[in-house]
Amino acid sequence: MKTTLDILYKDMLIEWRARSRTVALLSFAYTILLLFAFAIGPDAAALRHHAGAYLWLGLLLCSTLLLDRSMRIEFEADAVSKLLLVPVSAPGLFYGKAIANSVQLWIVGLISIPMVIVICDATITEHWAWLVLTIFLGGAGLAAPGTLYSAMIARLSGRQLLLPLMLFPLVVPVVVAAVKTTSLVMLGDPMNQAGSWLVLLGCFNLIYWSLCGVLFGRVVEA
Amino acid sequence: MTGMIQGGWEFVWAVYGITWAGLVLYGISLHLRERAQ
Amino acid sequence: MNVRWETYLGAVGFLMLLGAHYVGLFVAPPEAMMGDVGRILYAHVPTAWVGLLTYLVAFIAAIGAMLTGKAKWDALVEASVEVGLLLNVLLLIQGSLWAKPTWGVYWTWDPRLTTCAIMVVGFGVVLALRKQIDEPARRLTISSVATIVAFVNVPIVYMSVKWWRTLHQNFSSPETVDSAMVTPLRVAAFAMLFLSTAFVVRRWRLAVAQLTLEFDGPDLPAPSAPLAVED
Repeated sequence: MKTTLDILYKDMLIEWRARSRTVALLSFAYTILLLFAFAIGPDAAALRHHAGAYLWLGLLLCSTLLLDRSMRIEFEADAVSKLLLVPVSAPGLFYGKAIANSVQLWIVGLISIPMVIVICDATITEHWAWLVLTIFLGGAGLAAPGTLYSAMIARLSGRQLLLPLMLFPLVVPVVVAAVKTTSLVMLGDPMNQAGSWLVLLGCFNLIYWSLCGVLFGRVVEA
Repeated sequence: MTGMIQGGWEFVWAVYGITWAGLVLYGISLHLRERAQ
Repeated sequence: MNVRWETYLGAVGFLMLLGAHYVGLFVAPPEAMMGDVGRILYAHVPTAWVGLLTYLVAFIAAIGAMLTGKAKWDALVEASVEVGLLLNVLLLIQGSLWAKPTWGVYWTWDPRLTTCAIMVVGFGVVLALRKQIDEPARRLTISSVATIVAFVNVPIVYMSVKWWRTLHQNFSSPETVDSAMVTPLRVAAFAMLFLSTAFVVRRWRLAVAQLTLEFDGPDLPAPSAPLAVED
């Protein structure tokens, strides 16, 4: 537990000191949203209808950059081996990093909401708290497997191509659930389905966070 | 009961053809790789 | 024990499949709803069953590899993922060709087709990783982890796509099979099972020979400096 908090603090400190990179990431998210808008064309109805999808696609693309960078700092100068010698427990390292990644995804996600509202002329029909909860669960659902996989391939030269490819199967359930919920919150939820989708998201998170924590130790010690 | 689909044999041949081709080609590739060892 | 037992098994499977497909194509009656197109059943359904079974073998092998760290288990992971992928790709092609005359489209976001497509990526990644990692022990661990995650993910994806689709129309597919069609289907299923087992075992032998060499080989320095992160 203490390990987790220490790693979390370390990562947050690193990110705070390199705030410009977070700004760059936010600009990237913003650019993607703009590109979607241009690609769809002036069809305002389509943009509004699919705003949830664009938000999550943007977040997904940002996550690949974020995860790669986050794991690279551990493997530069072989820092991770030294960490494990200290000793830092591998699960502690995983959860610390995964939470740090989640926090960064939450920040990008939350800031994406007003961006999407402006660019896609989206509205929030249901209560906005649902949207925040979706970002929270969706972001965490992306961060956990992402942290595991970025550690798995951190030493490989093909990792920038491999990471999105590896994450894709894992990310589909989370993206499907998150986009569904976001769209329901934005466009209206007459049959109260959002709750069940969020429960589903919660279950995915439970599975991923426990499984990935267990597997991380073997991956990093190899 | 809705009507039965008529014809469509080209799809049936395509499926069987590709399935058999896939299996046979894989068998051959295995054989060639064993030879190389 | 006969060393090449799998060759005989494979030959038996091959002949059985020939027979079952012959019956399915020319002897069995056309399906009630789908007519002659329904004959695709005898190729598609066995491929699905055996494909999933092969991936299950891969999953078990991955757990074994993680627990024992031995080359033989690692070899089984490699063999079963490769054969599983072959069947998976065949399944996708068969499914699309079946979908076109019955549903009117080559592709649809049916839970089964979608899960199938995602499985190709999930398990394909295992083979891609194996090619990229040179160090045998690390390769064993990484590919086992990737296999375990890929397999665990299958029911998750299936369930979420099923939920996602529930608001849209349900495409029907034959759940119950007419009695006249059960026999060739069963024979075809066992035939595919025998054939795939033969493939997996042969592939496994190939992999064992290769991997034992690598695991037991002399400890040469790694080809690239481990401390540098390549970019």
